[in-house]
Amino acid sequence: MFQVMQRLFQWFRNSVTTTAFVVLWVAAPLAQAAHSPRNANYSIDITLDHQTRTLTGREVVTWRNTSLQSTSELHFHLYYNAWRNTLSTWMKERILGRGLGLHNRSETDWGWIDVTNITLINTSNVPETNLTNNATFIAPDDANPDDQTVLRVEIPYSVSPDEIITLEIEWTARVPRTFARTGTIGNYYFIAQWYPKLGVLTDDGWICHQFHTATNFFADYGVYDVRLTVPSEWILGATGQEQRVTDNRDGTTTHHYYAEDVHDFAWTTSPDFLVFEDRFEHTDLPDVNIRLLLQPEHRDQAERHFEATRQTFKYYGEWFGAYPYDYVTVIDPAWQSGSGGMEYPTLFTSGTRWLSPTTTNGPEQVTVHEAGHQFFYGVIGNNEVEHAWLDEGLNTFATARVVDQYFPHSWERRFFRGFLPWTFTDIAWSRALDGSRLARYRTTARMDIQATPTFQYWPGSMFSTAYYKTTLWLHTLERFLGWDTLRQGMSDYYTLWKFSHPKPQDFFDRINKAAGEDLSWFFDQVHGDSAVFDYGISQVTNQNAAGRGFFNGIFQDDESPTIFDTQVVVRRYGDGIFPVDVAVEFADGHHELRTWDGHAQWTTFQFEHSARAIRAIVDPERVLMLDINYTNNSWTSSPLATTAATKWALAWFVWLQDLLLTSAFVI
Amino acid sequence: MTRLWLDGLQRVTRAPLLCLGVYALTCFTTLPMAFVLHDTIATHLGTSVVANSVSEGFDTGWWEEFRFATEGGIVETFGPEVIGFAAPLSNLSRFVDADFPRGAVASAIVFYLAAWAFLLGGILDRLARQRQISSAGFFAACGVYFWRFTRLALLIVSAYWILFAIVHPLLFQDLYSALTHNSTVERDAAIVQLCLYFIFGVLVVAVSVVFDYAKIRAVVEDRRSMLGAVFASVRFVRQRLISTAHLYLLNAFAFSVVVFLYSLVAPNANTSGITLWLGFAVGQIYIAARLFIKLTLYASQTSHFQSELAHATYVARPQPQWPLSPIAEAIAPAPNKS
Repeated sequence: MFQVMQRLFQWFRNSVTTTAFVVLWVAAPLAQAAHSPRNANYSIDITLDHQTRTLTGREVVTWRNTSLQSTSELHFHLYYNAWRNTLSTWMKERILGRGLGLHNRSETDWGWIDVTNITLINTSNVPETNLTNNATFIAPDDANPDDQTVLRVEIPYSVSPDEIITLEIEWTARVPRTFARTGTIGNYYFIAQWYPKLGVLTDDGWICHQFHTATNFFADYGVYDVRLTVPSEWILGATGQEQRVTDNRDGTTTHHYYAEDVHDFAWTTSPDFLVFEDRFEHTDLPDVNIRLLLQPEHRDQAERHFEATRQTFKYYGEWFGAYPYDYVTVIDPAWQSGSGGMEYPTLFTSGTRWLSPTTTNGPEQVTVHEAGHQFFYGVIGNNEVEHAWLDEGLNTFATARVVDQYFPHSWERRFFRGFLPWTFTDIAWSRALDGSRLARYRTTARMDIQATPTFQYWPGSMFSTAYYKTTLWLHTLERFLGWDTLRQGMSDYYTLWKFSHPKPQDFFDRINKAAGEDLSWFFDQVHGDSAVFDYGISQVTNQNAAGRGFFNGIFQDDESPTIFDTQVVVRRYGDGIFPVDVAVEFADGHHELRTWDGHAQWTTFQFEHSARAIRAIVDPERVLMLDINYTNNSWTSSPLATTAATKWALAWFVWLQDLLLTSAFVI
Repeated sequence: MTRLWLDGLQRVTRAPLLCLGVYALTCFTTLPMAFVLHDTIATHLGTSVVANSVSEGFDTGWWEEFRFATEGGIVETFGPEVIGFAAPLSNLSRFVDADFPRGAVASAIVFYLAAWAFLLGGILDRLARQRQISSAGFFAACGVYFWRFTRLALLIVSAYWILFAIVHPLLFQDLYSALTHNSTVERDAAIVQLCLYFIFGVLVVAVSVVFDYAKIRAVVEDRRSMLGAVFASVRFVRQRLISTAHLYLLNAFAFSVVVFLYSLVAPNANTSGITLWLGFAVGQIYIAARLFIKLTLYASQTSHFQSELAHATYVARPQPQWPLSPIAEAIAPAPNKS
């Protein structure tokens, strides 16, 4: 009898929730102007059982077909199944890129998601139907029969364009020890990609890729109405804003969160968090409440997190456009949780160390980067699985710019297994090199073509191709076009494509428009090709302009010529083509500047001047940040190579002596 | 113990050639590779203007290009870690984390240790006798103890192999992982790490002390069985644990003072011209001071042993003589055998 009553109550509650959500979703656009299409909307009830690390959930998905084609199937991501076993595509790619590191996880550390029930909610035309048996796993990317990260659900009718369909899905999931930045350790949970999430139906069909090791995500915007039940007294942070908190009789608490115009929902909970609140205020930008959940051991770094977030909203807001939500949650992840440095709508994880000197950029750089993703990822929802560079690259570029403007700092190395930081106060962090990671790009410059769908990159080159190469070519554009022009282009892109799914050409179009010229020749090389750029001074010769030898039968050999004929040979060592300046300095202080279109394999610049050339530099302003070898860009008649070599050989000499002595401890 | 340590200090001070010799060994082991690095850097920079910034400070952009262009070899060990106090810090970190260099640098270390193993007989003999000896006498002593110390080296290598290849992973991988696997607080893990460093340090020091006294007993007591010397050393250390530890700590303190002073005056990256050479001189003083402390450790331990089981300057074996060459033997009058 009790069970019947309980079921009745549950049915009633679910029905009310479902109805309320549908009404809410339909009414929401009326209440407040929608920023986004809001075509994928979720009402979720989720309960975390800490003892068994289990999530038990039920969601009502209301989806509107915004494509131009009808569909009789829905595709869902089940990301947690990537860690069910080693045969998933994610695990196979992980092994390919980074070896067998995760193979040895203990039995309790794996995770999965099981969909237990799928019901089509009745509409005026179709009765309530159980679709559980209509669900099958598919592997659209690699046909891996063991991959269970995409679930196709066949529906008994065709959903026409602009038609709405509502499904109720029940599932359970086991929370793993953190794999791709989601999971648990101790009593810290960071839960992302945790619910059956719809793919995106485009005019060309479903985009619902399997989970790949080197890529992020892609989803439609919508409204999320989520009730999260966790142990009482635990602190909780989530996408959106908390509406109410209800204490339950069983020692749990339900937190009700609500978020509009977002394309994902992540949350975290732990009894250990310290909660801080602050506010971003700006004369020309809307205020933003910042909620920071901090690890107790980082108590003294709260202001550093706030300042990094504030500066990001300031600079990104001024450069590209305002942050459209009035709240954001910053999560300081637990140590070893593996969940740091990741972005989710209106919520992101930073990452710092227990010992993090203020002379280095400890929490700042990662905080700026992830806060910046609220713009390039959160507001602009490009397809990260296919075009990760559109958000990661643009954001890394802007991150470096903010860090350079506001957080100047020094190089850091960590010793004693990373616990002890050491700051090189005389080596400044460089936006051009460290912010863009030219060194990292250099090693994999030819590994992949950026235009290749990101999930098809070699797993080990995703960062350099999507993040750093983009940063370098954007920095090149900044120096080539000027910051104002590039900023205008990026700002236009942000304004035009917010809350939608732009593609690479959409970005190129905005830059071309801002530049007032067609830069396809550049984009084709940096995006459509793996061309490598490398210009250098090949040789410089100074000789008597009057010549030497027999002239009219008389031998001429003027040892003190008054006019010199200087030839500077500039060579293109790479296959990338870019116009470059060539600067030549003469012994009397005279300067010459020429421009080369950079097309030929090599070219010669000839000068006649009353003094010898003493210095020649190709690309003296270092516009071409993609040039992988800048040392060969210059020539001088009085090189200091020996002096420099002596300096560093002496330093290394002392280092080696010290190493020998340290090793001699054993004798 | 302070008296013994001062006595050791005095013995080293009175053997300036010994100090000079080990300093020269340290330099000569290092110099060839420093030349190689010098030439590699100079070749890479060539006639580039970039050399200007490289000669003034640490140009990270150039360094990354240089590393990429000259992959492998000793260039792998050239980075910001060579600057000033980062050098001892990174080397100590490598040592306690069992992160040993490879390739040419590893060869240099092996050569250096072998050279010390050869010279140690002469060094201990000189420090024990406290008398000036000719270079022939010094090398004769080196020769006398070389094979004994080679046998001892087998035991030393075995002991350190056990420590670094078996105990170290047990402590820093297995035990550390077991203690911190589910820890979410880095501070706690750092404390665990520190405790493990302490445990490992005590083990390493204990092994080191035992072998130090084994070498000293081999020289002072003219022991031929190295196994016997090790057992005798264990007995000695066990029976005088406090005094041995006290003396070792005094030496460790002296070492710490040297390292601390170097941390205050170590050159930074932005040296050039006269400051470059001043910085180098400071570095050499630091190296010399470390060598001096190392010799002082041997000397004070020798003094400790002699004060307990012998007497100052006592060495069982007569001072070894360098054998005459066949030609000298032919010319020299035959020794009086009566």
